[in-house]
Amino acid sequence: MTVQALDVKRSSASVWGSGTGIRQQTAVAKYIDTTTCIGCKACEAACQEWNDLKRVPTTQTGTYQTLPELDAEFWNLIKFREQEVEGTLNWLMRKDQCMHCAEPGCLEACPAPGAIVQYANGIVDVDPEKCIGCKYCATGCPFEVPKFHPQTGKMAKCTLCVDRVGVGLEPACIKACPTGCLNFGTKDDMLTLAKNRVTRLQADGFKEAMVYDPQGVGGTNVVTVLKFNRPEWYELPADPHVPWGVKLWKKVMRPLGVLAAAAAVVGVFAHYTQYGPKEVPGSEGDDEARRRDERMTP
Amino acid sequence: MTAIHGEHADSAILAARNRENVMVGGEIVRHRRASRWIHWSVATTFILALITGMPIWTPIFRWMANLVGGLEVARVIHPYVSVAFFIVSVMQFFHWASDMKFTPDERGWWRPSKLWAYMRYEDDPAVEGGKYNGGQKFFFYSVTLGALAFLVSGLIMWFPLGFSPIVRELSILVHDLVFILFLIAIIFHVYLGTIAEPGTLRSMMRGTVTRSWARLHHPGWFRQVTKS
Repeated sequence: MTVQALDVKRSSASVWGSGTGIRQQTAVAKYIDTTTCIGCKACEAACQEWNDLKRVPTTQTGTYQTLPELDAEFWNLIKFREQEVEGTLNWLMRKDQCMHCAEPGCLEACPAPGAIVQYANGIVDVDPEKCIGCKYCATGCPFEVPKFHPQTGKMAKCTLCVDRVGVGLEPACIKACPTGCLNFGTKDDMLTLAKNRVTRLQADGFKEAMVYDPQGVGGTNVVTVLKFNRPEWYELPADPHVPWGVKLWKKVMRPLGVLAAAAAVVGVFAHYTQYGPKEVPGSEGDDEARRRDERMTP
Repeated sequence: MTAIHGEHADSAILAARNRENVMVGGEIVRHRRASRWIHWSVATTFILALITGMPIWTPIFRWMANLVGGLEVARVIHPYVSVAFFIVSVMQFFHWASDMKFTPDERGWWRPSKLWAYMRYEDDPAVEGGKYNGGQKFFFYSVTLGALAFLVSGLIMWFPLGFSPIVRELSILVHDLVFILFLIAIIFHVYLGTIAEPGTLRSMMRGTVTRSWARLHHPGWFRQVTKS
């Protein structure tokens, strides 16, 4: 749903998709410090509760993880991985949810006007009333976040608690976190926090510590601190982009196709005005042709 | 004279129910009823697929969705009418395939220069041709192949979640490209079949053409039919 308190910056399948808002709304971001996450899953519970999502039974995968991947009814998932680094076992936990990209591939791919919107504060949201359930957004997303709900026929994902943020509250997951590994504020503040944390980690000996704010999608409104410079260890793409196929389709093929079809119509009109119809000759021509036929027939 | 012609025309229409390539009075039966029904089944399902697919393609054609009750309805019925389109396209292929064998002098018809010459009415007197000319045959095979490409890419787009992202992206691009080529081809097909070549539409409506039409557009076929 669109939220009255927030201006829209971009809207799916809109020819003029740029913002119309005049309000000064700064980009907000979630801060996730994977190094202080204890895997308590309070954020998962808070997400289900605030968003009125059903209680999802755990699918056992041999780890502490609740589900193998995000679901249309489960938008916030702690991913648990065991990674051996130089003979030491590292138990890595990362909170997975929509990354709220500055250049959202889902919005780019979506064909339904207004079904995916990007608010001026950076939140990317799905409007289920406008969603047509085509699943193009799943193809557009480099993080495999939007999930299809078979009963409603709609896509669903983390809203960054747009209904809370719009009235000045932090997202439910942030509020529930007991260790302070989650934080919420302006994107600038969260980046500063993350950089300071990385500096601290590096001083403590974790030389590879990094801030994950992938520039391939214009940066994300989820800022993640990783202990190791290996996003794939956390099941994150190292260099995510809006898929080239989606870009080629929307930015090249589609305008060229419209132009080609228009050119065909103009061409046909030009042909008719230049050459006219290929008329069947009248009776005079008929007689002449018949004589020719008779000559040619043995 | 007119009355006799009218009588002839009536008997020609009756003959066009189940016979093809025969002279009846002043007219020649070009497409019997089954051929016409197959053609119009393909045309109807194609147009339905078009008006339900184009608003999903770009918001410029969003108004088309209103014809079927909105974008969500369009998205729901597009795959079904498209499967129907594929099925009737296959029927069409087998119905017409025997008439669509290329003769050696028709091999170059896919060339733009040939199309251009045809559109300027520069008919090659050396090529008599059969019931269909090389361009029609080329169009026939293209739409059949296109229907197959539509089906394969469309099924992947209909049920994308079991496929890898690269396959999904490729299928969208293939669907897009085939659609654009189809759109251009259909614009020319409709133009040639209606106002550009008067007397052609009736062959697909009532099944018959006049002798002069046949002599002008398909002299080889005209000779075969009038000889027998």
